[in-house]
Amino acid sequence: MGMSEVWLIPAIPAAAFAVLLLFGKYLPRGGDWLAIGAIFASFVLFFPVLVDLLDKVDQPGFAGGGKSWEWISFDSFRINLGFHVDQLAIVMLAVVSFVTLMVQVYSVGYMKGDPKYGWYFTCMSIFAASMLTLVLADNLLLLYAAWEGVGFCSFLLIGFWWERRSAAEAAKKAFITTRIGDMGFLIGIILLYKEAGTFDISQIFDYARSGGYSDTYLTAAVLFLFAGAVGKSAQFPLHVWLPDAMEGPTPVSALIHAATMVVAGVYMVARMFPLFDLADPVALDVVLALGLTTVLLSAFIGLAATDIKRVIAYSTLNSLGLMFVALGAGSVTAAMFYLLVHGFFKALLFLASGSVIHATEQQDVRELGGLAGKMPVTSTVFAIGALAMIGIIPLSGFWAKDEVLHSAESGENVLIFLVVLLSLFVTGLYMTRLYILTFLFEPKNEEAHHHAHDAPPVMTVPLLLLAGLTLVGGFVAFDFVGEALGFPGGIGKFVFAREPEAFDLNVWIAIASTLLAGGGLVVGWLVWAGRAEPARRASEVFRPLHILLLNRFYFDDIYQFAIDRVILAVGSLIAWFDRTIVNDTGVDGSARLGYFTGFEMKFLETGKLPNYALAISAGVVVIAIVFLIFVA
Amino acid sequence: MTGTLHLNWWLLAPEYILCAYAALLVLIDLFSNRAQKEMLGYVAAGGCALSAAVSLIWVDDKKDFANLIDVDNYTTLFRVFFAGIGFFACIASARYVKDRLLHAGEYYALILLAVVGANGMAAARELLTAYISLELLSFSLYVLTSYAKFDLRSNEGGLKYMLLGAFSSAIFLYGVSLVYGATGSTEFAAIGDKLAGGTGGIREGLFLGLSLMIAGLGFKVAAVPFHMWTPDAYEGAPLPVTAYISAISKSAGFALFLKLFTESFLPLIDDWRYFIAALSAATMALGNFVAIQQHNIKRLLAYSSIGQVGYLLMGIAALSPAAGSALVLHMVGYAATNLAAFVCIIIFYNWTGKEEIKDFAGLAERAPFLALSLSIALFSLAGMPLFAGFATKFILFQSAADQGLLWLAGVAVFFSFVSLYYYLIVIKEMYLEKPDEARRFPIPWREYAAVAVLIGAVFLVGLYPRPVYDLVESSTNVVFQQAPGGQQAAAQR
Repeated sequence: MGMSEVWLIPAIPAAAFAVLLLFGKYLPRGGDWLAIGAIFASFVLFFPVLVDLLDKVDQPGFAGGGKSWEWISFDSFRINLGFHVDQLAIVMLAVVSFVTLMVQVYSVGYMKGDPKYGWYFTCMSIFAASMLTLVLADNLLLLYAAWEGVGFCSFLLIGFWWERRSAAEAAKKAFITTRIGDMGFLIGIILLYKEAGTFDISQIFDYARSGGYSDTYLTAAVLFLFAGAVGKSAQFPLHVWLPDAMEGPTPVSALIHAATMVVAGVYMVARMFPLFDLADPVALDVVLALGLTTVLLSAFIGLAATDIKRVIAYSTLNSLGLMFVALGAGSVTAAMFYLLVHGFFKALLFLASGSVIHATEQQDVRELGGLAGKMPVTSTVFAIGALAMIGIIPLSGFWAKDEVLHSAESGENVLIFLVVLLSLFVTGLYMTRLYILTFLFEPKNEEAHHHAHDAPPVMTVPLLLLAGLTLVGGFVAFDFVGEALGFPGGIGKFVFAREPEAFDLNVWIAIASTLLAGGGLVVGWLVWAGRAEPARRASEVFRPLHILLLNRFYFDDIYQFAIDRVILAVGSLIAWFDRTIVNDTGVDGSARLGYFTGFEMKFLETGKLPNYALAISAGVVVIAIVFLIFVA
Repeated sequence: MTGTLHLNWWLLAPEYILCAYAALLVLIDLFSNRAQKEMLGYVAAGGCALSAAVSLIWVDDKKDFANLIDVDNYTTLFRVFFAGIGFFACIASARYVKDRLLHAGEYYALILLAVVGANGMAAARELLTAYISLELLSFSLYVLTSYAKFDLRSNEGGLKYMLLGAFSSAIFLYGVSLVYGATGSTEFAAIGDKLAGGTGGIREGLFLGLSLMIAGLGFKVAAVPFHMWTPDAYEGAPLPVTAYISAISKSAGFALFLKLFTESFLPLIDDWRYFIAALSAATMALGNFVAIQQHNIKRLLAYSSIGQVGYLLMGIAALSPAAGSALVLHMVGYAATNLAAFVCIIIFYNWTGKEEIKDFAGLAERAPFLALSLSIALFSLAGMPLFAGFATKFILFQSAADQGLLWLAGVAVFFSFVSLYYYLIVIKEMYLEKPDEARRFPIPWREYAAVAVLIGAVFLVGLYPRPVYDLVESSTNVVFQQAPGGQQAAAQR
């Protein structure tokens, strides 16, 4: 068991999915044990793969391992499909397999009693299979298939309670918005394939390194690839779907819309980073610019949002933006480090908020408050998650954020660094606000408060495990921790784009970030503590700003306007053309022609034997005559 | 070519097994009561399986029997393939024959003897053996077609089939004699060698013979305009027999067509290619257009099978190693798919005794597995991706295009498109219409298992055609190596 068996990791949940889909309704407990058992098996298999990888990682020229199969081979048209694991993939694999396992266990408690309980676990299995395939795919075609697969699962699970109109709408919105990016992704893949003649990622790298692509061509191709990441990872301007996606069950938000699927865009850019590196610098500048925009927008909207899950969703946008800033600044290490710890603390935040929702059946912070005493475990782990998100030393978020800042600071533009620093302050503000409004001071809704209690162990144990990792996960930055675990060193020596990076803590950056984050925390406390009078006054004084934030900078309205007025108008024009010209004349016309031809021809079959014999004879005579005249 | 004859009777063991089973079945039939007749079908299926297993002895071998029969990979592939068709036909017949036909023993005996004939057509290395095998196959099928002896349609179909069959056999035989006259041999290889050396003064007789042989083989595979028996025979024959004819008669015809035209007439390909291409286009057009007009599921599949013959003829027109392999691959995929469709229809008929397309209304509610399987089979016949039909058509059309027949590939794509329409009509009935009554049908496990295996094969070929293609290629290569100049060509490759 080693890297060449890595295909088993996605195959097991896929098999579980097949069984659940076909026989799920006959299984006891809707088959939840099968789904969880499958992802548990995948999680266990992760370790021998890791050990094997660590064994070989020191070999010179190590480029990962895996297994590939010939799928289609016809003359020069060949497609291989396979699974491949290297340092980058193993980090992602760790996040995906662990968080998926935690979330599925948690779901047993959270989804208990739901009429579609079995279907939920069926969807979870196919999601796990698709996501693991996405991580391990060794070629762009399989990667794309898995990419669409996770998008489809996201659609199914956002719309899990499709009886609610808002859920159905949100599912649709998520699917269509990400599809816009996916279209770009597909174009990018085709562009890369067209020149290189292969979908294999490492072969495409070789081709690019040998100068096969021209500079502009490669830049265009990677920008198209990045469009896919923009959609999937909800970056400006395609960020609008993610907050709405919170209509899905909360464990789904934790898994798909925080820890795994939405970071697939980051992962994909990291995976294809050699191409971004070879392309014109403008490609990485675009990545950085969109990431930065997203960071700013989301931080401010998070200040005004009132739905507990939406606030966390905006913090996710914020985090995703930071990862792209790191990538744009050229540091795969920082992006992947942040991705790793973000997977833990963001899943923790979502699952903890799920606990709150589960206990109170409320998710509007204006109806919550004062829950800390009633839900000690939940409020504690939520605090840990929030502090990690804010970036307080020594929680994992601090170290990861420091790496990102470090990468941003090394660029030539100081403005970028300042914007990121500013966002830290705002993050401190809104996370504090969220915690205060949810857990502290007077309960605003007595009924909800009265029923509140901590969740059963099946839900709290995953919370505690995630909280533990949130506390210590950041230490993998240090060489001695990495070496103790058997890695070549800290994460910078394991996952890197250009050359190994030693972890180096810039004291000034650390102090600045701590001051800003801590400042956000303190100011947040002052503003929202107690009856939150300063907050109310602020919202009255800056009323237009508050409204702007409440309406999320009107992005949704602008898009809706564009869809109604532009797309639907053009659409109706095309519809007219389609109906009268294409359908009535083209389709129906040719169908009628075909029908008529068939009608005429069927009378050739008279049912009379002599006619049949005549047809045969005539056929022979015609062939013979033509042969003798024209050939012989 | 001269010298001692290799009378190694052991080489014919698979055929002996089939004949022995045929005799055995007639015997068992005498001593079995009505309830036991169903078992005969499974015994016959066992005979097919045994014959297929025994024929595997000669994998990668290359022997001949008395200069009449080749035993090589080509023969082995078709022995297994035909026995497989027989196997599924017997399974599908078991219940039907018990309920609706008399003389079950002879019925299965004829099915097995038809396999012997088909084997001979694929294995023959000279014209007379091929002709005799063809007659053995045809005779069995004539009788089987008219097996429902109290059903007028069955009698009519059988009679028409037999009379026209006799007519076309005479034409074929006349062609054989002319070709013999022109080349001085009935052996494929000898004819090929002679023609490779130039046609000199023998052109008229040769080409007349060739025309007649094309007509005779065209009748067997049901190419337009020699196809007219097909709808009547398909509609009249008992359902399992229709299924059987649709699979084995065409496959055996093409096995001979491919081997004969490769080994003997490849040197003249530029002369006859366009006749075959024209037949192919006409066959596609007629089959697919007229299918649109059908109301009876058997006639629908009859015309659809004529359309498929049009695609298969492309492989002959484009005759190259790649096209030959593509032809056989498409044929294997088509036979599996068509059998799956027919087994579904037989199950339906066993329940209801109906065979009009509108009788399938609402089948999805009454038998979801059956409706899904039939839909998959029909989608595969139409050439939709995921299923065998797409992969095999893709490879076949590509190989035709590579040989300069791009226009014909275009025509084929167009008619694939037309064909989707009438397949969808059936699917629409099953899924969108309401059933007359909502009661579920009982589940026949053995038939369902057969359908599941065939549908599994349809998916396998559709998603991962590589291993099957390799298998087919290794067998058609044998034939192309025996073609005039084939060894040099193979060496050059």
